[in-house]
Amino acid sequence: MILTRRRFLKSVGATGVLAAAGCKSMSSGGGDGPGTPPIAIPMKPILVVVDIDGGNDWLNMMPPLSGANRAAYESKRPTLAIATDHASPLPNGAGLNADFTGMDELDALGRVAWIPGIGMNNPNLSHFVSIDLWGQGAAQPGGTGWLGRFADRAFDTRGDVLRGLTVTSDRPLMLRGSTRSFVSITSASGFVYPSLLRSGRVGAPYSPQLLEDGFAAAVTSTTSDAPSAPDYAAAAISGKLFLDAQNGFGTDGNLPARTPSVLYPGDADYPIKRTGGGNLSANLSNQFKLIAQMLAAGLPTEVFFTRLGGWDTHSNQTADHPNLMRALGGSISAFYEDLASVQTAEGNAQDRVMILAWSEFGRRVAENKGGTDHGTAGLSFCVGRAVKGGIYGDYPDLASLDKNGNLKFTVDFRSLYATVLDRWLGQAPSATDAMLGAAYQRLGFL
Amino acid sequence: MADLTPVSTWTSDDARHFARRAGFGLSPEAAAQLASQAPAAAIDAWVDGTGLDQTLFTDVLGTRADPVAEPARTASATAGSVSLPVEPGPHPYRVEVADAWRNNFSRSQACLAFRMQYAPYAFAERMALFWHNLFATGWHKVNNAALMLQQHATLRAHGLDRFDDLLVLVSKDPAMAIWLDSVQNNAAGTSVPNENYAREVMELYSLGADNGYSQTDITQLARALSGWSFTVSSAQVSTDPTDPSNKVVGSGTFRVYDGTANPDPYVWNLQQRATLPSMHGSGTITFLDRTFDLRAPPSGMAPGEDALRSIATSRGPQCATFLAKRLLVHFVTARFSSQDLSDVAAMIQSSQFNLRAVMKTLLKSRFFFDPASRFALVEGPVSWSVRAARALGYDLATADAQSPKGFPAWALVTASFDQAGMKLLDPNGPNGWSEDDAWLNSGTVRYRTRIAAAVALAEQSSTGTPSVAYRLFPGDVARWFPTPPASAQAVLDRLVALLQPAPFPAALGAAWLQSLWPSSFDWNASDAQNNARQLACLVLCSPAGQLY
Repeated sequence: MILTRRRFLKSVGATGVLAAAGCKSMSSGGGDGPGTPPIAIPMKPILVVVDIDGGNDWLNMMPPLSGANRAAYESKRPTLAIATDHASPLPNGAGLNADFTGMDELDALGRVAWIPGIGMNNPNLSHFVSIDLWGQGAAQPGGTGWLGRFADRAFDTRGDVLRGLTVTSDRPLMLRGSTRSFVSITSASGFVYPSLLRSGRVGAPYSPQLLEDGFAAAVTSTTSDAPSAPDYAAAAISGKLFLDAQNGFGTDGNLPARTPSVLYPGDADYPIKRTGGGNLSANLSNQFKLIAQMLAAGLPTEVFFTRLGGWDTHSNQTADHPNLMRALGGSISAFYEDLASVQTAEGNAQDRVMILAWSEFGRRVAENKGGTDHGTAGLSFCVGRAVKGGIYGDYPDLASLDKNGNLKFTVDFRSLYATVLDRWLGQAPSATDAMLGAAYQRLGFL
Repeated sequence: MADLTPVSTWTSDDARHFARRAGFGLSPEAAAQLASQAPAAAIDAWVDGTGLDQTLFTDVLGTRADPVAEPARTASATAGSVSLPVEPGPHPYRVEVADAWRNNFSRSQACLAFRMQYAPYAFAERMALFWHNLFATGWHKVNNAALMLQQHATLRAHGLDRFDDLLVLVSKDPAMAIWLDSVQNNAAGTSVPNENYAREVMELYSLGADNGYSQTDITQLARALSGWSFTVSSAQVSTDPTDPSNKVVGSGTFRVYDGTANPDPYVWNLQQRATLPSMHGSGTITFLDRTFDLRAPPSGMAPGEDALRSIATSRGPQCATFLAKRLLVHFVTARFSSQDLSDVAAMIQSSQFNLRAVMKTLLKSRFFFDPASRFALVEGPVSWSVRAARALGYDLATADAQSPKGFPAWALVTASFDQAGMKLLDPNGPNGWSEDDAWLNSGTVRYRTRIAAAVALAEQSSTGTPSVAYRLFPGDVARWFPTPPASAQAVLDRLVALLQPAPFPAALGAAWLQSLWPSSFDWNASDAQNNARQLACLVLCSPAGQLY
């Protein structure tokens, strides 16, 4: 399915800016070229999921630059259309928005697999229904998420407590298994119950074991007076998970400090600013920095979950969307670069990590007054040293829309999941098909 | 089926269950006193807030200075700055128009937490918290603390109105108008309306996803509500005294932007406009199978308001079911049958969506008091924290008499609300927070231990120059025990009565006591009271302590 592509390295200003800021070149190994990954799939791969939350207007992230799609795009987006000279061309007639910081260079290195038009049958225009559908990732949606089911199968029920981890404070459905739950850790310090509790600052020295015993006893309780309240076990499991996780999380819940090897969006000296000046959001940067710190500290995490919100650009899109793209692209490219300086017991982190970005839907082709409303098919992409860069799937036809004026999808989102489960997370094809409830076509980027 | 007939008698234990769900808990003594009254009259009074003395609460909120909680700003801090008086306290400036320029988010959270801890009319606060989750609006986009608190005040004042009236009030609320882009919804001429609010008002606020409406209904309602915005008078503008160029919206007045003269100097974003922009769509729309003339609303209604109100009539069963589900998960149980749901929905419809009547019926019902509903829910972190503070902290009069006053410095604790999974006044999205067991994960449990430590262990902080040390939650252990406990077991029994966790294995309690009092028990021993604090913390942090 991979399209053969011939790509011209574009020399853009951003390269110079990054170099001026002291960033290393993106090219970290010999022989990098589009479609030819410099490394094979690593023995101990790590997946970092990026939730582009709110519905990314990817038509402006990867706008059509030529042909009938360009004409349709301009007619439906009289004020919001991205000018052709504000994007670097891709081989599919579209281009990468110049505000999508750093992604053009990663793409030129062949490190990005793009899946424009990814979506599903019977798409739902609700954020929350669509997020759930993407999270569940099954032919017959149930109460668990595709990565949760992976954890059910791959992780030890009681151990492996840090193998699946979200750096968000919630518990996304995508990560929910029937027997396993990912841990949520939002900071590199203090992931331990408070010092007041541990040190007995208030009174006599106090044994932390007491608290731990409370959860452990609840989890394993077989006594006849075990509480019947159904949520009691859920509370106990969450507490036990926290207590187990903190025991594997640094010293007294603190990871060794780490200074990132590159600048990230939001850092004062990061060269790319908001369109109106001022620092970009550090939200996603901070999540990536935390993950890099976790990997440097030797955490055994195999799947991470991150999120950048704010993409629900019903209004004010000309100001907000470029800033969001700068933060997203800048954070991903900085993270990719930063990982090269992280050594783990199982190899260099840049070799081990693949980033998978998704959004619950794309947005309406026709603009409203200043923004775009909810749409359907979206753009996913994967970034990594073992990724065969390129474009996977057809760009949707902007002249052939559904009855609500929305795009028709060209790649089933579960094809992406199937590819990742098989090829990146090492599941047998039959196991992958079982987790997804059906056999979906695999994409060729891994 | 859900038996919605009222109970005729109740016990002290029933009253505790009621107060946990319909307020923020009651002490065993107060619960016994409540239970001595007939349930029907007692619950009516609780819901209506009658017979409460709010004098001290109002007084403390409105007039007292609290230099500990709110250190004075000094003229010397910044060259050219003006000297500001000690902020009146503890919290009123955060709701006053004149101080909106501060846009102080954490203080606003603290203001609400303080209200919840001490408001005599606890039910109004509980309902406001419920509606805050349903009509979830986030400060990170509104970026205006005064407007956020104004919305919360609306939810507090009108949380027991008819649902369609409340829905209209929320739809006209300035914070909501910014949050879901009503201020940008322009359907004049051939403009394509912004459908953000129209979608979410049905999906999230009244019907549920895909429950009785189509994409066409969304675009039609977006047209009906186009131009719904607000204007700002001079008196509603708040100016930063240290930087007069910094002007902030302190409040707003609902208007439909229809090209007519602006009665106020400013439009919603503080631009001076003599004429309102023309944004309201014209003509007729068809919405939920009915036709509305946008230029001819019924008397007393804004253009488009009749369409908005029709949601509860054109889709009554769906709207009632939607509300029933939310009420059940917050107040009764998340494990209801489809029959329970339709029974409660039918009651809501037969009550004509009168929320006061609905809440009274629900909270008096045998269904509500069913033993299976006890401790059947995980409590959200905000009300969990407030309930612990009510149980263990000083009453308002005692706290107010302290020197330094040391009112619970909620602002130092509310940051943990975010990491405990409920960033008060700032939900991530308009869908609010999922309740019950979704409150629990490894991270949120960790931050509950942080909050429990602050509340139970008398954590100290200091502020000001010179530094003044004070306890975040003042309170002394002796007050937890009206009669000195004669045994370690008596300490645990009393704490369980105060904190009201779900039942837990006796062996667990025995292990705690064995560790804290390994040999003999002596309440007058130097460490006995600290042991009691630690035991309270253990109860709060335990699995049973998360349920209510």
